[in-house]
Amino acid sequence: MKSIRAWVHRLAGAFAGRRSEHELAAELDSHLQLHVDDNLRAGMTPDEARRRAMIALGGVESTKEAYRDRRGLPVLESLARDLRYGARTLTRSPGFAFAGILILGLGIGVNSAIFTVVNAVVLRPLPFADSERIVKLWHTPPQTTFAGMKIFSLSPANFIDWEEQSRSFAAMAIYRGGSRTLTGRGDPEALRTVRASSSFLPIFGLAPTLGRGFTAAEDGDGVPATVLLSETLWRTRFGADPAVVGQTLLLDFQPHTVVGVVPNPSFLDEVAIWVPLAWKPTDRAVRDNHNYSAVARLKPGVSVAQAQTDLDTISLRLAAQYPADNKDWGALVVPLQDDLVGEARPALLLLLGAVALVLLIACANLANLMLVRTHGRAKEIALRGALGASRARVVQQLLAEGVLLGIGGGVAGFLAAFYGVDALMATFGEALPRAQEVAVDGRVLAFTAVLSLVTGLAAAFAPAWQLTGRDANEVLKQGTSRGSSSAGDGRVRSLLVVSEVALALMLLIGAGLLMRSLNGLRAVDPGFDARSVLTASIGIPEQKYATPEQRNQFFDRALQGIRALPGVESAAWVDSLPLQGGSSQYVAPEGAPPMQASELPVVALRLASPGYFGTARIRILAGRDFTERDTLGRPGVVILSERTAARFWPGQDPIGKHVTLTMMSPAPREVVGIVAEVKTSALDAGVSDSETAIYAPASQFAFNGTSLMVRTTVPPERLAQSIVGVVRTLDPEQPVLEIQPMQRVVEESLGQRPTAMWLLGAFAILALVLASVGIYSVLAYTVRQRVREIGIRMALGAPSAGVLRLVVLDGLKPTLAGVLLGLGLAAALVRVMAALLFGVSPHDPSTFVSVTLLVTLVGTLATLIPAYRATRVDPVVTLRAE
Amino acid sequence: MTQREKNAVWQGTLSLMVLRTLLTMGEQHGYGIARRIEQTSGGQLSINYGTLYPALLKLEQEGLIASSWGTSDNNRKAKFYRLTKAGRKQIERDTRQWEATSAIMTRFLAPGEE
Repeated sequence: MKSIRAWVHRLAGAFAGRRSEHELAAELDSHLQLHVDDNLRAGMTPDEARRRAMIALGGVESTKEAYRDRRGLPVLESLARDLRYGARTLTRSPGFAFAGILILGLGIGVNSAIFTVVNAVVLRPLPFADSERIVKLWHTPPQTTFAGMKIFSLSPANFIDWEEQSRSFAAMAIYRGGSRTLTGRGDPEALRTVRASSSFLPIFGLAPTLGRGFTAAEDGDGVPATVLLSETLWRTRFGADPAVVGQTLLLDFQPHTVVGVVPNPSFLDEVAIWVPLAWKPTDRAVRDNHNYSAVARLKPGVSVAQAQTDLDTISLRLAAQYPADNKDWGALVVPLQDDLVGEARPALLLLLGAVALVLLIACANLANLMLVRTHGRAKEIALRGALGASRARVVQQLLAEGVLLGIGGGVAGFLAAFYGVDALMATFGEALPRAQEVAVDGRVLAFTAVLSLVTGLAAAFAPAWQLTGRDANEVLKQGTSRGSSSAGDGRVRSLLVVSEVALALMLLIGAGLLMRSLNGLRAVDPGFDARSVLTASIGIPEQKYATPEQRNQFFDRALQGIRALPGVESAAWVDSLPLQGGSSQYVAPEGAPPMQASELPVVALRLASPGYFGTARIRILAGRDFTERDTLGRPGVVILSERTAARFWPGQDPIGKHVTLTMMSPAPREVVGIVAEVKTSALDAGVSDSETAIYAPASQFAFNGTSLMVRTTVPPERLAQSIVGVVRTLDPEQPVLEIQPMQRVVEESLGQRPTAMWLLGAFAILALVLASVGIYSVLAYTVRQRVREIGIRMALGAPSAGVLRLVVLDGLKPTLAGVLLGLGLAAALVRVMAALLFGVSPHDPSTFVSVTLLVTLVGTLATLIPAYRATRVDPVVTLRAE
Repeated sequence: MTQREKNAVWQGTLSLMVLRTLLTMGEQHGYGIARRIEQTSGGQLSINYGTLYPALLKLEQEGLIASSWGTSDNNRKAKFYRLTKAGRKQIERDTRQWEATSAIMTRFLAPGEE
């Protein structure tokens, strides 16, 4: 107790400062006076009395020093003193302080900004109660038919069996996105919907804001049609009116009763309306059509692996039970967070690694600057050592300066990140999951704080150690006011330059590889021509267009109207645009041996109108396009892609042969044409069988939703309004969705790569600039140190060119060493970015060579200014100065 | 006794002497405490007065003594120290411990009692 009390006093004493100092002085003074009084009384002369009293007290200053040590905590006080001293030194050389803070601020700023994103997207758990127990459930398709596809949507019957038989989940929910048209309230509006089972929102711990959620009865049919509004829609469209519960909405012209308002889970924030599952018995029985998503909540104590084993067992059982539909269909349990951010993770971690390298370079750069600067203080430091300052004490003082620069850089960096993140998200946020959650939080602040201190200390450590390790005698003996540079110093500085160059080279290689991948992807022939094409999508309500004839008529008329618009070259319907994926189906080709349905070949089925191939500029290789006559009631026809035909009937003429779309109808359809391949799902999709396509006339199926493709002779965006106009004249209540140029669809399929490339490129250039500043500053310093030597050389007749070569070569040595080191490290590390590369080897020679040349060139340029300055040395002036 | 030996008053002992002095004399200033210790030792002990002040500070930090400014007999301003309740208890404890220690030491050093 006693000692704790004393420590508290001492801690407080450390900050007591002036007042207690005055008090001590007064006390010692009174002590002296009392003693002098006594001595006088004893008969001494005033001088003698005073002298004796002083001797007995044993020196006022040393008493004060002992007292001070007892009063506070000496370490803390010397630290405070060092910081004050450091701050004074820094304000005396504002140029150095500014450069240091700028360099660290850049390094820390990019780190804080990227960490903010990584923190929000990858590290922070999803914003739900016990979110680590929420998982996504997928099918895994048979690799024989869906080569390369890792996950697949669920079929209702399989989901029901999983739900009944599994023991790992507290709850499971199935859902599916869609859209419905809201009418009767101003302009018709297509609203994003999710059709979800009643268990969906409770899995996320989300309770209705108003009214109730769905009930188990609403999972089945035969109950009144109900909907839930999302909070966002309720606020924007219904003015947050609490009386909305109980009202009736017309969705696709059917009345639905609003029973509640619910908050959206953040990853489904664009959903406006929730509709119940409302499965009829026939819906529940569907096993071969996979188009639902599923989420589940693990029971407490059950791991993802256990749940996986559980579903594996069930899948095997179901495959044995229903071989026709389920042979080789498995299950996959993925934590929801991984499912949402998995795709963005490699790019984000790559960027985090990149900014860490930038910070290392910044740190090395600052270390270099400090080394050069503290060198001018070698004498001061040696003198302190000679006077008895311990090495630790001197190091502490130099480190304090580093800490100050670190704090300055940290504040600058944090501010940069705080404002930079918004700009970053505005530019690149679209391609990122959980983008709306990205914000600076306490963790970012703590990260920045730690980073600032560590980098400040690290940058100061090398110079501190270097300088104090010297023999004070040697330094003091030297005649010049500046300490001359020892071999050891040179080595440290060269090492710093070597590492800066190596790190910058690695970043440039990373950026270069990404750039090549992106160029490679853009150069991929997608099989169609995206230029001057506008796309849109449209879904007409089946309640209003009840018969196939009505639906076909609507789409035919719309197409006629659009084709008649000025600026339109051609137009066509297709159910899914290229690169956007779509339906993959089992197809039975003529002449194949009888087999299980699930063993049939799978191809991408696209339903297209006549003129689709011409509009998309997909080449027709043989046979004919669809015509207006290939419609309802006419013989079924199909067009095959080249490789589909080769796969079905290798070496034979496919025209006139037949295939059956077993999932659509049992009637065989005649092959009337062959077209070139198109990238159906993604630009980087490999050449796999499930990527091959089969086309059928849209009008023979008369579905209610499709996409539009319009080839224009004017910039495509200009036609958006007139296309909506055409649709509105046919049906004023019909919305048109997702109007965008096909080029944008292409860009979207590039995924995270453009973002990663631009950012990595920016960081790499920043790194290169920092590294060349490093080369420059070291060399400039060396030249200054060697001015005398150079002067002598020139006095002895060395030509300027010789001096130039001498200095440039001196500067190039560490650069070249850095290049070699960087090449080695890059070759070892590029594997981490393999997932982001396309069509380029991680060890792409042309990237490695061109980056090497670039770095060497920049490194040489950085040596030129100091080298030029060296040739301007006037031998007479230099030698006289000594 | 050499000067060096004379000065060898170690911290724990000095603390007890200070406390004991304050117990006997009541409120006293630093100089007075130092003189009193010197006198009590019969001139055997000569403390460097300067070492007294850190010791006083330590006792104050531990809550064994308290201080306030006042005026001395001959009208000088001085800081006066006095015992606290905890200080009195500490004297009892330290005295007991010291007596025990010195009794043991005495027995050890007593000649010819083997």
